[in-house]
Amino acid sequence: MRCIFCEVTLDSGDKCPGCGEDVRLVKRIIATSNALYNIGLKRAAVRDLSGAVEALKASLKLYKQNTDARNLLGLVYFEMGEQVTALTEWVISKNYQPERNRADEFLNKIQNSPNDFENINQTAKKYNQGLAYCMQDSEDLAVIQLKKVVAMNPKMIKAHQLLALLLMKEGRYDLARRYLRQAEKIDTNNTTTLRYLKECKNNLPKEDGRRRKGKDRDDLVSYQSGNETIIQPRKKHDFSSATSVILNLAIGIAIGVLITWFLVVPGIRQSEKSSANVSLSQANDAIAEKEQTILSLQNEIDELESQIEAANQTSDDAQIVLTTYQQFLSAYIAYANGDTEGAGNALASVNTDYLDATGKNAYDAVAAQVQGDYLNTNYEAGYQAYQDGRLSEAIQNLLRVVNVDETYQEGDALYYLAMSYRKNKDDANGVLYSQKIISHYPDTERAREALRYLDSLGVEPNAPGEEATE
Amino acid sequence: MIDFDEELKRFEPSLEVEEAVENIYSQDLTDMTDIFKDMLQESRKIIK
Repeated sequence: MRCIFCEVTLDSGDKCPGCGEDVRLVKRIIATSNALYNIGLKRAAVRDLSGAVEALKASLKLYKQNTDARNLLGLVYFEMGEQVTALTEWVISKNYQPERNRADEFLNKIQNSPNDFENINQTAKKYNQGLAYCMQDSEDLAVIQLKKVVAMNPKMIKAHQLLALLLMKEGRYDLARRYLRQAEKIDTNNTTTLRYLKECKNNLPKEDGRRRKGKDRDDLVSYQSGNETIIQPRKKHDFSSATSVILNLAIGIAIGVLITWFLVVPGIRQSEKSSANVSLSQANDAIAEKEQTILSLQNEIDELESQIEAANQTSDDAQIVLTTYQQFLSAYIAYANGDTEGAGNALASVNTDYLDATGKNAYDAVAAQVQGDYLNTNYEAGYQAYQDGRLSEAIQNLLRVVNVDETYQEGDALYYLAMSYRKNKDDANGVLYSQKIISHYPDTERAREALRYLDSLGVEPNAPGEEATE
Repeated sequence: MIDFDEELKRFEPSLEVEEAVENIYSQDLTDMTDIFKDMLQESRKIIK
């Protein structure tokens, strides 16, 4: 219980511990509100919903923040088929007590079933339309509309009552009474329902009693014997003979078999079919789930394999880079020791694509210094070997020069290489390098010598500028 | 004997969802504690 002045929780004293106000009267008001809530609760428990609404409204008039009373009022309205009114009570309740409020539960249930919610709204609209038809004296349409409402929302008491009123106006008291009985089952003490039921009762003939009397008369035979009237039961045929018992049993068994065949067996079959369908659906779900798991595992494997491949590639690259730097280091050491040939050979094997910017700069600096010496040394050695007739050695040295620079010494290295091949009877290579001479240095004595060589072999020379092919 | 027209007047339209918000705001939620607080304030003004 909270103080209405400062919202501080009250203790058992007469003064508020927060603001010091006298709260005796406030406590009385709240206690009375609670007592009315209890009355409302008892009435709701015995389905006196109208009485419960009355008590709960009075409770809330005393203390509007009585959340229990407001939630129960909403619940009672809901039970009476007034779902939208119930919603408004729960929303107000939630506004007064946002935390730990049972209204949350009710509101969530409604929010979680949007179809039901839409149905509720449609029912309200149809009822209002029915009421509008009544006002416009279109009672036939109103009856049709209200029958739909009652079918959609069997708890809507006022729809039952209005429908019953219309039926009573048409003189169909029997049907009106049926709808009123349904309303009575929902709200036992509704005064409108009870008044209408009384009206039906007054206008319906007491058929049961008369039927009973008529039947009694049919069962009796009376006749005059002198001055006395003798009344005795009419003689009836005795159907309890053995034959009739057997006949009845046979009919009963036949009916039983027919009921079993036409009603029970299809039900069992349907049940088995449903069960099988459920099992099939479950199995399909399980398979789908397994497939999903397999797929995800396969993806995982693929990803791991690609990671391994990338790691291997990185490892290979790292190995190549390491080798490249080792080759470059060997070249540098050879150069530092004055071994130009060794340095040049080592530099030729370095793949500069794997050197970083610093390594590339160092390579360029060393290569620039080494290359001149390397080419010159090899050319001189190659030329000397050619002159001495050591053709294999000449080819080896000159090839090193040509591989680095085909234009070395204005094509001298190329020419002597071609001639070395020629003399060594390696015409394939001889032709290849001769073609290069003709192509790069036309109109020179060397080109003419190369042409004579090709002519002797019957090979068509390339046009000047055309690249020789191997 | 029931008077149909008089009975019909007792029936009120059902609240529709679209009207719910308006209905909440238009409700008179004054309770006894509000009246009591107002009375207390008024009486204190008079005493001052």
